[in-house]
Amino acid sequence: MMQKLSESVLDKFSMDFLRNQVLKNAYGNDDTVIAKRDPRILLIWYLFFGLVPWFVNDLPFLLGCFLLVMVTTVLAKVAGLVLLLFAVGVFTQTGYLLIATWVFGGDASAIAPLLILTLKVATISLASVTVFSGLDPDRLSNGLMWFGCPERLSFSISYAYRMLPMLMEEFQNVLLSYRLRGNPPVRETVRGKIKYLIYQIKIIIHAFYPLMLNTAKRSRTTVEALELKGYRYAAVNKEVRKMKLSSLKVIYDDMIFLAVSFLWVAVTIFISTMI
Amino acid sequence: MKNIISIQDLTFTYPGADKPTLDHLNLKIEKGDFLAIVGNNGCGKSTLCKVFNGLIPHFISGTFSGNVWVDGKNTLEADVGVLAHKVGYVYQDFENQIVRPTVLDDASYACLNYGMKDYKERGGEALSQCGLKGREDEYIWQLSGGQTHLLALAGAVALGPDVLILDEPIAQLDPGHADRIYDVLKELNEKYGKTIIVIEHHTEYIADYCKNVLLLRDGKAAWMLPAGEALARVDELIQSNIFPPQVTIAGHRLRSECMVPFENPLPTTVEDGKQAFSSLILQQDRKEKLDCPKQKEAARFTDVTVAYRSVKGEPKTVFDGLNLSIHKGEKIALIGSNGAGKSTLMKMLVGLLKPTDGVVELHGISLKNMKADQLSRQISLVYQNPEEMFIKDSIYSDIAYAMQVRNVKDWKEKTEGLLKRFRLSELSDRDGRLLSGGQMRRASLAIGVALNPEILLLDEPTANLDIATRKEIMRTLSDMKDVTDTVMIATHDMQLVCEWAERIIVLCQGQVMADGTRDEIFGDTQLISKVGIRPPEIFSMGQALDQRALCYTVEEFLNAFSYETSRAGGNK
Repeated sequence: MMQKLSESVLDKFSMDFLRNQVLKNAYGNDDTVIAKRDPRILLIWYLFFGLVPWFVNDLPFLLGCFLLVMVTTVLAKVAGLVLLLFAVGVFTQTGYLLIATWVFGGDASAIAPLLILTLKVATISLASVTVFSGLDPDRLSNGLMWFGCPERLSFSISYAYRMLPMLMEEFQNVLLSYRLRGNPPVRETVRGKIKYLIYQIKIIIHAFYPLMLNTAKRSRTTVEALELKGYRYAAVNKEVRKMKLSSLKVIYDDMIFLAVSFLWVAVTIFISTMI
Repeated sequence: MKNIISIQDLTFTYPGADKPTLDHLNLKIEKGDFLAIVGNNGCGKSTLCKVFNGLIPHFISGTFSGNVWVDGKNTLEADVGVLAHKVGYVYQDFENQIVRPTVLDDASYACLNYGMKDYKERGGEALSQCGLKGREDEYIWQLSGGQTHLLALAGAVALGPDVLILDEPIAQLDPGHADRIYDVLKELNEKYGKTIIVIEHHTEYIADYCKNVLLLRDGKAAWMLPAGEALARVDELIQSNIFPPQVTIAGHRLRSECMVPFENPLPTTVEDGKQAFSSLILQQDRKEKLDCPKQKEAARFTDVTVAYRSVKGEPKTVFDGLNLSIHKGEKIALIGSNGAGKSTLMKMLVGLLKPTDGVVELHGISLKNMKADQLSRQISLVYQNPEEMFIKDSIYSDIAYAMQVRNVKDWKEKTEGLLKRFRLSELSDRDGRLLSGGQMRRASLAIGVALNPEILLLDEPTANLDIATRKEIMRTLSDMKDVTDTVMIATHDMQLVCEWAERIIVLCQGQVMADGTRDEIFGDTQLISKVGIRPPEIFSMGQALDQRALCYTVEEFLNAFSYETSRAGGNK
């Protein structure tokens, strides 16, 4: 039974699955409430929820912020893998301390600061998740560009997303070559399993060499094509920048989004002063 | 007619090369031409095309002398940006040319970069010219191979260039998609007055679509002639490793054997051939014998269903209840259009892909219960893209790898043997990725057979190869017939299918549409039109002359047909 389970977990967690999750995360949910927001509004929103919690130690306020970003994360329909990474991340940062203190009978004075720290980390991470994976990379990079980030950075973001699935597929194929031709150690015993794990890690490291070379071969065409498509020309042209940004528009709904967030924060502050 | 491109005494040498790639080349191309550039591997075709759009000398360095004028502008004086408005270029590895995530975005990207206010309209216009209307908002990974190529073309068309250059546009496509590309090109040429230049090995397409042919030889323009005349120069073309259409070769052979005093020009298409060969008469009614009792079962699919995860919405089902069995010793060709599930079927056989439902068995044992190591001794897969087979830094260690890690006895001798067999001995310490197309393919075959598997699967072994290299691979495959036992090839290459396969399986929309010998498959005209496969040209020629004729090679055609007079009416 256990073996069956571990096998099916391993099956799920294949390169194919990762690739699918990355794509899903980037482009799979372009019709959510969050994805439709103007990127500039979201970035301003993020500036607040990504920074302010660091400097506030008020529990009701933090709890309120946390609830709000949780709602936005749900609205953004963030891919499962990202949420899993988030959970693991928060747990390894501070969560394990919190739980350990709690289990071993720490009193409120020990738990409260840890809870606050955990809430801070969780709120900020979820706010980032909302903005960076709720928006599709192109809108995000346009937003960044509006705030004066260099064109090169914003192009890199969207190009990385364009390339990532291809790279992962290539990586997967190289790994498959190893799997088809290699001779992994038998994994019956515990020692065998450890050996098998070491073997797998070794293969993954080895697989980077062919991946690099194949990618280098591909990028030769891409570089020439970018040159032909006037990429360098656009990078120095102010007019083009303006055209790219002209697609950004703040609509009524964006204002509602900001207003609701603002109201909610105001309410939490009000509650915390009441207590 | 005005010359859109003229080249005067052009010489170009890549840095470090000991002789020039283009050597005192002179050339004039008229506006509105549909030109095919042919020539041996490494004769400078791609280099020449990069001269047209100014990448040489502005972006790629080397020693450049001579003059090139594009639409009256000297390329030495104009920069790449200006020339990109005049000359559009579609690469052979076109998928690397696409840099944006959605279709419309990519098509209009160049226009946006050059600061055109109406960039979206231009992109949309280009898409509709290239037959991609209605797909503006799709993501690029939702497109099929053929559509991706059309998108790369649209990206080039959007800037409104007068000249379009395509480097081997149909190398990876099935005939249906290939026709689509050429029909689009034809429309661009005729309706929008674009000058089209293609680098092309498929002479059947040259005969059907191109107006002129330019032969490059050793970096020089050997000649430029109207397509019909050019293709009739059979001997000269074959010397340069270009193979004229089968119909033309048949005509040429008939003429050289003095069967007929052929005054007319040689036919280049089936349509021409009907006229030229009208007096040929089918001599014998050949029936292929069906013997060889089936040997024991090697692999079997039972009620197999497979689905892929998709980025959005429901998973995509490739197979739904597939049943198929493969017998020992069979030489199987797996055919069907792009996306019919050929690669998926092969991946399932080697256990890389698990069916959502149903059972895949090898020699009666379900793949689920088999260890990867056990599996790799029984079955081997050679990928469509040979680069992905190379995991070491030399082909010697790549071929040796699987044997070495298994401590196969005499692995050194065996590797040497394989290198010799596949004529790779001199290249043994080179990195596989840096070899030429044909060498790369041979190396990947050698890797595939290294463990001496009982079943060998080959995914598109002749894709992306020029005809000469293709012939060479076909020869290698025939040589291998005695060492490998059961072989299955997935391919679009119908000449390969006809000359090599003993059993043909036709896949269409996740179903086995037909399964039989070549006579059973190609003789069934209804089936052929239904699944969109195309028999070799010479087969269609035979059929056009006589419905009963089933000939798959020029040789067979010449044996089956002859002139009444030549046999003195004996067979009547």
